[in-house]
Amino acid sequence: MSNTISSPENQNESRLNVLIIDDNEQITKMISSFLDMSNHECTVVNDGKEGVELIKTHQFDSIVLDLAMPECDGYEILDTLQNEDPSQLSKIIILTASNIPIETIRKFKDLGISSCLQKPVDIDQLLSKITDITN
Amino acid sequence: MIKIKQALFLIFGITSFIIFYIGFLNYITTQDESVGLVILISSAIVSVGTLFATFYISNNITKPIELLAKRMNEFSKNNFITKNSLDDKGILELQTLNKNFEDMAKKVGGALEKEKLLNLNLQEMDTRKTEFMSMISHELKTPIMPIMGYLQMLKKEDMMGKLNEKQLDALNEITISTQKLQKLIQDVLVAEKIDLGKLSVEKEILDAKILVENSYKAFYPICENKDVKLIIILKTSEMVFSDVDRISQVFSNLISNALSFVPEKNGVIEIGTIDNSENVTFFVRDNGIGIPEDMQKNIFKKFYQVDTSSKRKKEGSGLGLSICEGIVRHLGGKMWVESKINQGTTFFFDLPKAKIPLENFKSFKNSKNSKK
Repeated sequence: MSNTISSPENQNESRLNVLIIDDNEQITKMISSFLDMSNHECTVVNDGKEGVELIKTHQFDSIVLDLAMPECDGYEILDTLQNEDPSQLSKIIILTASNIPIETIRKFKDLGISSCLQKPVDIDQLLSKITDITN
Repeated sequence: MIKIKQALFLIFGITSFIIFYIGFLNYITTQDESVGLVILISSAIVSVGTLFATFYISNNITKPIELLAKRMNEFSKNNFITKNSLDDKGILELQTLNKNFEDMAKKVGGALEKEKLLNLNLQEMDTRKTEFMSMISHELKTPIMPIMGYLQMLKKEDMMGKLNEKQLDALNEITISTQKLQKLIQDVLVAEKIDLGKLSVEKEILDAKILVENSYKAFYPICENKDVKLIIILKTSEMVFSDVDRISQVFSNLISNALSFVPEKNGVIEIGTIDNSENVTFFVRDNGIGIPEDMQKNIFKKFYQVDTSSKRKKEGSGLGLSICEGIVRHLGGKMWVESKINQGTTFFFDLPKAKIPLENFKSFKNSKNSKK
């Protein structure tokens, strides 16, 4: 928590465009206001299907994805992307409250997803993952 | 081992042969031929009769016994007997035996059936409990996320503005409580995983010395803050084949525990390894209040607290040690405690040494690759 990567001055040169897909509105609101205050662009969807549509139609620098969601969950989104636009997979940061088994994390890595964060996540850590991905 | 049938035939066979033989001898040697012939014929009839009687008796004794043995065998295998295949004729004692066995089997079978049902119910309840706990912990993790997020943001002057000292104080208190809550939820989840045998471990070759040093580094600042001496004592430094994160979790729980029990002045915590031929034994020792002997056997039980009085000074869920023990067990080791009142407590745990180099190096490579 002592991490201070998030100071706005650092981020001014590179304003990032981040998509957040999570069915929990409190979490999306918190992350988006944090990214907003860190001078990044942030788009929020609380529904998986909408998320997929947005990924198809818009260009994002990074995508923060929750796994457990009603109707269209994170795994489904990953499946769709793998079939239709695998290049998007490397932009994804998984953010989940469930414990992900090591085998699944390995599978994610094989897909090109390097970050799998556990809720509750340190927001500075989340931001540093987001900037890592875009670099 | 001899069968009743064989024994009977042997005994009565010899007997009938002797009877016949005496009759035959008598016939040869006697002067009165007609008397000799009568004796010979009657001895022949007696010996044949004896053989038939033997056959009849042996059938009546051995058949029911064989059948009873078969039924017993059946019962011991399936806890269930098929319907009576003995007829009501035959030897009374064996009939009684069969009847008694049947009664007993019915009772035992019924009891076993009940127990099976009860066990199934218990298992189902236990699974339900575990599912519920895991669901609850999962649901609890989610709201903690925005709480922690906003707390972090509030501490950033450039985002939320400068807070005054009282506000910062309040913020810090909320942070501490939230962190405790978070730790508790994590502990409950890990304890449930251990219960289910689903704790995931990723083993690799690890240097015992580095494991101890890592925990030292993690806890040195906290100990210094509390004026507690933290000392490393390494009697051996070998390689273990284990999971680095889980071991640091064990060390972290044990050192945190020790920290809350050392005396306020001159508190000392020693961590390290001791020599052991088969395993590497790690330990965490404190010079705290100690654990009464009669309570030592219970401290690894879930939710067990040495001091359960409402006035107890130390807080905690009672999960820490049971988690440590569970993790060590999952890593193929064992954990134990030695303690004396007012002298201190030492927790030991064994971890298997890295043995067959070739195989282990393979997995070492694998785990390295997978971490990239």
